[in-house]
Amino acid sequence: MRDTPDPVRPERRHPHPSPDARQRADAAFDVVVVGGGHAGVEAALAAARLGARVALCTFRLDLIGEMSCNPAIGGLGKGQLAREIDALGGAMGRAIDATGIQFRMLNTAKGHAVQAPRAQADRHRYREEITRIVRAADGVELFAGGVRGLSIEDGVVRGVFLQDGALLAAPAVVLTTGTFLRAVMHTGETRESGGRVGEASCDGLSGELLRLGLPLGRLKTGTPPRLASEGIAWDRLDEQRGDAQPSPFSFATELQSFPRLPQIACHVTYTNERCHEIIRANIHRAPMYAGRIDGVGPRYCPSVEDKVMRFQDRDRHQIFLEPEGLDTDVVYVNGLSTSLPGEIQEAFLREVEGLEHARFLRHGYAVEYDFVQPAALDPTLHVRAVRGLFLAGQINGTSGYEEAGAQGLVAGANAALWGRDAAPFVLERHEAYIGVLVDDLVVSNPTEPYRMFSSRAEYRLMLRQDDADRRLTPLAHAIGLATDEALDRLRRRERDIAAWRARLDAVRTQGEGSTTLTHRLRRPDMGIDDLIAEHAAELEGTARAEDVKRTVEADVKYAGYVDRQRGEVARMRRQESTPIPSDVDFAALTGLRGEAREKLAALRPSTLGAASRIAGVNPPDVALLAVHLERARRAR
Amino acid sequence: MSATTTEAGATTIAAISSPPGPALRGIVRISGPGTADVLGRALVGSDASSWEHTARGVFPARFDDGIGTQPALVFWMPGPHSYTREDVAELHLPGAPPLLDAALARVLELGAAAAAPGEFTRRAFLNGRIDLTRAEGVLELVQATNESERRAAMHLLEGGLDRRMAGLRDALDDLRGLCEASLDFDESDTGHVPEAELSAWMDAIGARLDEALAWEVARQPANALPRILLFGAPNAGKSTLFNALAPEGRALVSDLSGTTRDALAVCIEVAGSPCLLLDTPGLDPDALRVAGPDASAQRLAERERGGADLILWLVAADGTPEARRTEAAALAALPSATRVLRVWSKGDLGARPADDDGRIETAVPAQGPASGLEALHAAIANALGLEGASDAPGAPAAGLQRELFARHRDALVSARREVACAAREIACGTSLDLVAETLRGASHALDRITGRTGAEDLLDRIFARFCIGK
Repeated sequence: MRDTPDPVRPERRHPHPSPDARQRADAAFDVVVVGGGHAGVEAALAAARLGARVALCTFRLDLIGEMSCNPAIGGLGKGQLAREIDALGGAMGRAIDATGIQFRMLNTAKGHAVQAPRAQADRHRYREEITRIVRAADGVELFAGGVRGLSIEDGVVRGVFLQDGALLAAPAVVLTTGTFLRAVMHTGETRESGGRVGEASCDGLSGELLRLGLPLGRLKTGTPPRLASEGIAWDRLDEQRGDAQPSPFSFATELQSFPRLPQIACHVTYTNERCHEIIRANIHRAPMYAGRIDGVGPRYCPSVEDKVMRFQDRDRHQIFLEPEGLDTDVVYVNGLSTSLPGEIQEAFLREVEGLEHARFLRHGYAVEYDFVQPAALDPTLHVRAVRGLFLAGQINGTSGYEEAGAQGLVAGANAALWGRDAAPFVLERHEAYIGVLVDDLVVSNPTEPYRMFSSRAEYRLMLRQDDADRRLTPLAHAIGLATDEALDRLRRRERDIAAWRARLDAVRTQGEGSTTLTHRLRRPDMGIDDLIAEHAAELEGTARAEDVKRTVEADVKYAGYVDRQRGEVARMRRQESTPIPSDVDFAALTGLRGEAREKLAALRPSTLGAASRIAGVNPPDVALLAVHLERARRAR
Repeated sequence: MSATTTEAGATTIAAISSPPGPALRGIVRISGPGTADVLGRALVGSDASSWEHTARGVFPARFDDGIGTQPALVFWMPGPHSYTREDVAELHLPGAPPLLDAALARVLELGAAAAAPGEFTRRAFLNGRIDLTRAEGVLELVQATNESERRAAMHLLEGGLDRRMAGLRDALDDLRGLCEASLDFDESDTGHVPEAELSAWMDAIGARLDEALAWEVARQPANALPRILLFGAPNAGKSTLFNALAPEGRALVSDLSGTTRDALAVCIEVAGSPCLLLDTPGLDPDALRVAGPDASAQRLAERERGGADLILWLVAADGTPEARRTEAAALAALPSATRVLRVWSKGDLGARPADDDGRIETAVPAQGPASGLEALHAAIANALGLEGASDAPGAPAAGLQRELFARHRDALVSARREVACAAREIACGTSLDLVAETLRGASHALDRITGRTGAEDLLDRIFARFCIGK
C-alpha cells in the first residue's frame, strides 16, 4: 500500500531524432535483433509487443534461448531481475515456470527485500519453451545464419547484411551478440576461437564496431566442467531439495498447474585441501586467474582458482551438482568454474568426495571476448554515436541471463518506441533493479563482468521481488508492454492486499496493551501465518494466496523503513532527475576539475544523479554542474 | 534546493535580513516579481504611490502590518540592477523583534514566501547577477569552499578526530560489507556472517562513536559564529568603526552621546569567515543606577561582553583617563578566554596614551587610510585565530571550524543513534536487510562529515553560509 505518492518520473528524450516516415515505409522491418540469446529474445518480444515488425537473426534457430552456462534462472539479485522482466511482460518467468525442475526461494531468513527466487531448468526444455514463445509471437520473423555486418550510412543505421549479402532493412538494430565478439576460449594453455563450444565467433562485427568508433574492452568469463551423472556417487552426497511449496517466477503462472515438471534434488559436496594443493601448484597454468589476492573483496568469485587463492584460510569450498534436465546425463558443477588444463581439472575433481570416479563430459573453460564500453550508450541502450543502433546483454559487459534479458527488454522496447517517435521507457533506480542495472552500466567502465547484487540497489527495500508487478506492470501496461490481463491480475491482487491491510488496521488484540494487528505484525518474531493462527476468526475471509500474504507481511513490516527511503528518494529526486542536455559542452564549463571534466565528457551522464555516481566526479563538481545547468536553463 | 527556488523567478521571497535580537533598526528584504505588488499593498503614506516609477531610490513611508502602521524607510531596487537581479525592496523598520515579525508576517500574507537561508545569495548567483568576468572567480570560490572545508577539517582534527574518523569509517564500511556479503551470498559458504559477530562489530563501532563524540564535545563548547564586540566610552567612535567594518553599515552614527542604545549586530566576513559584529551602548556606570531603558541597555551590553570572543576596545584620543580605568576594570572582569584588542580612535583629536594595559594585545588605528582598516582586519583575524588571513587564502577559518564542529557533532550523534538502533534490531531478530538499511543510515550520517554528500546539500550549505537575507 503506497501511503506517500511516488516521486515524479523525469521526462526523458531519445538521443536521436526518430526515423522519418519514408525510411520506415522503405524498410521491411521496424527492428532487427541480432542474436537469439536471452537479450535477443526479450528484445524481439518487447519490440513486437509494442507493435513493431521484428526480424530476429541468429546463428542457429535451434539454439534460441540456449542456457550457455548455468542451467538455472534467478538467484540473489538476479531473481529480482527475472521477476521484473515478467512484470514487464517478458518471457523469462513464464519459460522457467514451465520448465523448472527445482524451485527455491533464497534468503528467506534475511528479509523480504533480499529474498529471491531461483530455479533449476531443464536446459533443453527451457530452450524449446523460449523457441515456442518466440515462434508464437505476432510480428517476429526468424532468420538463421550469421550477420555479416551492419549497414550504416552517415552514422545512421539502415539495417544488417546477412551472410548471403542480402540486406535486412530496418531503422533500428538491436545487437545482442553476447560473448561472440572476437571470442577466444581458454582451457589451460589451449586456446581456440569461438564463443560457446561448437559455435563460431563473429569477428567481423567486432571490427565494425571498432570502425564506428565505439570503445571496446575485453572481459573474461568462465564456465565449470560438466560431468556424467552415472559416475557420481550420489548416495554419499548431501541432498538439496527445492521448496516444499514452490513459488513461481511469473505473476501469470497458475498455481494449480505449477510446477509442471517433476522436481529433482541437487547435491552438495566440497573441495578439500588436497584439491587446493593441486590448484595452487598449477595456478600459473590458469589463464583466468586474475592474480589479485586482495582485490575488490569477497563479492565476486568467478573461478575456483580465485576462490582458492583469495581465501587461503578456507579449507573447503561448496560445490553444487546440478542435473541439466530430466532426460539428460549431464551434470553442471556449480561453484567450480575453471580454466585450468583438462588434466588438472580431472586431477583435483578426483579428490572431491563423491566425484572420485566421475566422468568428464566437457572440461571447464574460460572465454575472453570483446564488449562495448556501455558508457557509449544512453539509458535507452541506444548507442550515442550511431542513430538506430541499440546494444543489449553481454556485449555491454554484463554477466548472466537475467541481466541480459533485462537489457534486451529495455533495448527492444526503446527501439520500437523510438521508431514511432514515442517517449523512451527508462526505469529509475528506485523503481526497479532494471533501472539500477541500466543506470550503473551507462556510466561505468566495467573491469569485470557486471553482475547484479541486491547491494547495488540503494533503495532495495522499495524493490522487493514480491511486488515487482505493483511497481512495474502499470508502467508497462501504459505503453503496451504488458497485457490488459496482467493489469487485471494486478488489480485483483491489490484489492486482496488492501482488504488485508484494512482488516489488520481494524482488528485489535484483546486484553492489556491492546494494539492493532498491524502493530502486532510489525514485531520481528511475528509472521503473517502466526497472526492467522492467533486470530483465525477475526481474519476470516482474507485472501490466503501465498503471494498476497507475503506482500501484506512485507508491506507492514517494511513500512517505516520504506517511508524513510521514499523521503530520501524525494530529496534526491531533483538532482537525480535533472537532465543534462546532450549538447552540454563539458570542456567549456568553468571551474570543473580536470578529471571530472574528462570523465563527464567521456561518459556523458544524462542526469545529475548519474553524474554524481561517476567515480572521480566529486560533490563540488556536481554542484558546479548543477549551477551551470540551472543558469543555462534560466538563460533560455 | 528549497521549493521556492525551484520556481525562482515565479516566486517572491522575503526574510528579516537584520541580525536577530533587538536593534535600533530592522530590515525586511523582499525579492521577486511580486515585490512591487507587496509594497503597493502594504505601504501607506504620501510618497507611497509615486515610488514605482522611480528607477531606484529611497523614500519614507508607513508600513501597514495589519494591526497598525510603522514608520518605514523603503529602499527600492528594481531588477535587474539589484542584488538578486529581481525586483528587490528593503523595508527599514523599527528594530523591535515583535514589530519586525509582524511586518514579515504581513509580507508573507501578501504572497511572498519565506526565504530559505542564503536564498537571496543563491538567487543572485543563479540569476547571473555575478557576471561572466566574475563567474570564474565565484565558481572557484564554490569549489574552494569545499576544499577549504576539507582542509579546515584536517587542520581542526589534528591530533585526533581525523584518525578517529578514518578508523570509524573503515570499521563501519567493513561491517556493512559483512552484512551485504551475507545478504548477497546465500548459497555460497563465503559470505554468511553469524549474527553474534555482527553484534560484536556494532558494539565496537558504537563505543568508538561514543569516544569520538566525547572528544568532540570536550573540544568545542560553543558552536555560534565568533562574536566581536565593540566596547568603549559613549561616543568613542564605536558606531563609526561598526560602519567601517560592516560593508552595509547599519548603525546610526551621530555625535550625540548614547545613540546606540541596544546591541546592534551584523554578520561580517573576516579572513573569509563569517563573524558576528556587535555594537553596544557605551559604558555608562551612571546609567545603571537609574532604572529605565538605559539601565537595561547597559545590562544587555554587559551580558554581550561576557559572551564575546573578541572585544574591540575603542580608546578615543579625547577620552578621559578615568573613563579608561573604568573600562579596563570592566574588561578585567571578563573570562580569561576573551581576547581584547585596543583600537585607537579619533587620533586626530589627541595624543595616543601609552600601551600600559595588561590584556591588550595590539593597538591599531581605527581610522585613516584604507590600510588602517586592513591592518585591523588582520589583527582581528589573528586574535580570533583565523590564521593566514592575508597570506594563505582558503586556510581554515574559525567560523568554518565552528560550523564544522556543529556538523560533526550532529553527524556523530545520528550515526551513533543508527548503530545503536541496528544493534537493537539484531538483538530482537529484525531481518538483516532492515538492519543493513539502518547501518546505511549510519554511513549516511558519517558521509556528512567526510563531505560525501549530494550536490544539493552542498549547494544549500554553501549558500546558507551567507547570513539569511543577504
